[in-house]
Amino acid sequence: MYVRLFAAIWLLFCACLAVIAWGFQAPFAYDPVGPRAYPLLLLALMAVGSAWLVFKPGEAVEMLSRRALQRAGLCILTLLAYAVLFEPLGFILSTALATFVLGLLFTGRVLPCLVSGVLMGVLLYALFDYALDVPLPLGVFEALVES
Amino acid sequence: METLHFLMQGFDVATRPTNLLVALFGAFVGTIVGLLPGLGPINGVALLLPLAFALGLPPETALILLAAVYLGCEYGGRISAILLNVPGDAAAVMTTLDGYPLARQGKAGIALSLSAVSSFTGSMIATCGVVLFAPILAKWAVAFGPAEYFVLMVFAIACLGGMVGDKPVKTLLSALIGLALATVGVDSTTGVYRFTFDSVSLSDGIQFVIVVIGFFSVSEILLMLENTHNGQKAVKASGRVLFNFKEYCFTFWTMIRSSIAGFIIGVLPGAGATIASAMTYMTEKRLAGDSGKFGEGDLRGLAAPESANNASACGSLIPMLTLGVPGSGTTAVMIGALTLYNITPGPLLFEQQPDVVWGLIASLFIGNVILLVMNIPLVGLFSRMLSVPNWVLVPAITVISMVGVYAVHSTTFDLVLMIGLGVFGYILRKLDFPLSAVILGFVLGEMMEDNLRRALSISAGDLGILWGSPITLILWALAFLMLALPGIRWMRARRKAQVTGA
Repeated sequence: MYVRLFAAIWLLFCACLAVIAWGFQAPFAYDPVGPRAYPLLLLALMAVGSAWLVFKPGEAVEMLSRRALQRAGLCILTLLAYAVLFEPLGFILSTALATFVLGLLFTGRVLPCLVSGVLMGVLLYALFDYALDVPLPLGVFEALVES
Repeated sequence: METLHFLMQGFDVATRPTNLLVALFGAFVGTIVGLLPGLGPINGVALLLPLAFALGLPPETALILLAAVYLGCEYGGRISAILLNVPGDAAAVMTTLDGYPLARQGKAGIALSLSAVSSFTGSMIATCGVVLFAPILAKWAVAFGPAEYFVLMVFAIACLGGMVGDKPVKTLLSALIGLALATVGVDSTTGVYRFTFDSVSLSDGIQFVIVVIGFFSVSEILLMLENTHNGQKAVKASGRVLFNFKEYCFTFWTMIRSSIAGFIIGVLPGAGATIASAMTYMTEKRLAGDSGKFGEGDLRGLAAPESANNASACGSLIPMLTLGVPGSGTTAVMIGALTLYNITPGPLLFEQQPDVVWGLIASLFIGNVILLVMNIPLVGLFSRMLSVPNWVLVPAITVISMVGVYAVHSTTFDLVLMIGLGVFGYILRKLDFPLSAVILGFVLGEMMEDNLRRALSISAGDLGILWGSPITLILWALAFLMLALPGIRWMRARRKAQVTGA
């Protein structure tokens, strides 16, 4: 059932992309194929595959329980928040927060998660920024370094 | 003779202190990543790739690191399979069948050491195969024109559909999704922006690192959320630590047979370690007949998949080095790594970058010895890694993924894109679409389009060039054969069902 649903959505998506791809036109023909044919070919093949799955989805896939879905949603939200706050808050703070929340999601206890969050933020920053030379954002701590 | 000379040159590169150190580090990290349930070689390579790049390692060193991780993962997967009955990576599923019963019988030490030697035998035989066959294939592949390359890639994708087995349509659709993802960005021939939705960050395409980390690390995190086993109880490794001579002789021919079979399966584009270990296990079971105790702790059932999966891991380097077409999901990631260094894998690699190629091959030999030496005494340490709880492990994976992606462009957009792709990958995985096919498609995508368009430029738009030479005709025939395989299997299964039904 879910495979069928996904295939149907994907079929629609292919159609939309095909409309967009139709507009790919080079102002001057550099080669006989042009930028349009290949994406359209792929989209056509994908559409055939999706259509096949709409009619013959194969074995049913089991669905997540409501609780598992909630947890997955929370996890995605946490990751997104981490990504968005990565630059403004800086690596140390955002990592400590994300580690703490993710730790709780993965059934850790409050105090150990808090400790591991702070440790990971500080230690990994030191490891990447100083030892491995990967530049990371300082964010809110920038002012401290400047002064 | 010439080969031997190059091999010595390769050893020269591989035994430089930095490269040895990197191989040691890679082997260690690889084993740990391999034994952690859920994390496989693709994750290991994906996590270390941005790091290697950000560190500014020279290409041969980076490749040695990735290859050591790849091999290490194949060694590590068996530890959790034997002690926990949880395969550390997909290729180790077969190892659990006989490994865990052995551990339960108090023979964990024997199982671990014997499987380490099996892995070693497999990789060694396959690496010798690489030394023998790769230069020949490379010489032969120089004759490939764009049309031949295009058809070769069609064959690789067809192989994937035919070999992965029970869900060919899903596999092919996954590969197509990968190919389509690769079209995002500015078209290299005409400069037209495709599927960028007016976003500046997408104009030079979706970065390889983002796709790999998103699809494999982020989706893995979401999958791990479902089974929150915390610090599982491993079987205590007790009794004899080492197998004896009789047990070695008992499994010797199994190892040799499975290694050769694994190597051949590994060379085929698309078919990787998982298929190799499953096939050799079934073959050994059939060969043993009633005398075997397969499934209840037969040593041969342990040796076969372990030698096969390591052999196929090494074998899959052949199509990668000689043709630039990946033989497995992990080698697809390695090709991506090479492109980051502006090195295009293919037949010319042997002439233009002998240091890279032969350094890599020599480091396979060295890496193997390191792994064998490391694995037998350190098994206790590695098995203790299994008790790292998820609430420490998952955040650590998350942070390393974030840093890896951020190191490429330093934009928030990339981080969000990575999570978006990760969620998409999670949905695909839940619906039983194989993700390694997506990665293979993504890596092949640009090469495939370039070669197609180059071929058609040569022929001024005449499609006939695509089946104009004997090589292309043979490849088309093979591709159709591969695509027909699932159909043939299905028909046979149906006929059998009819016979038993009647």
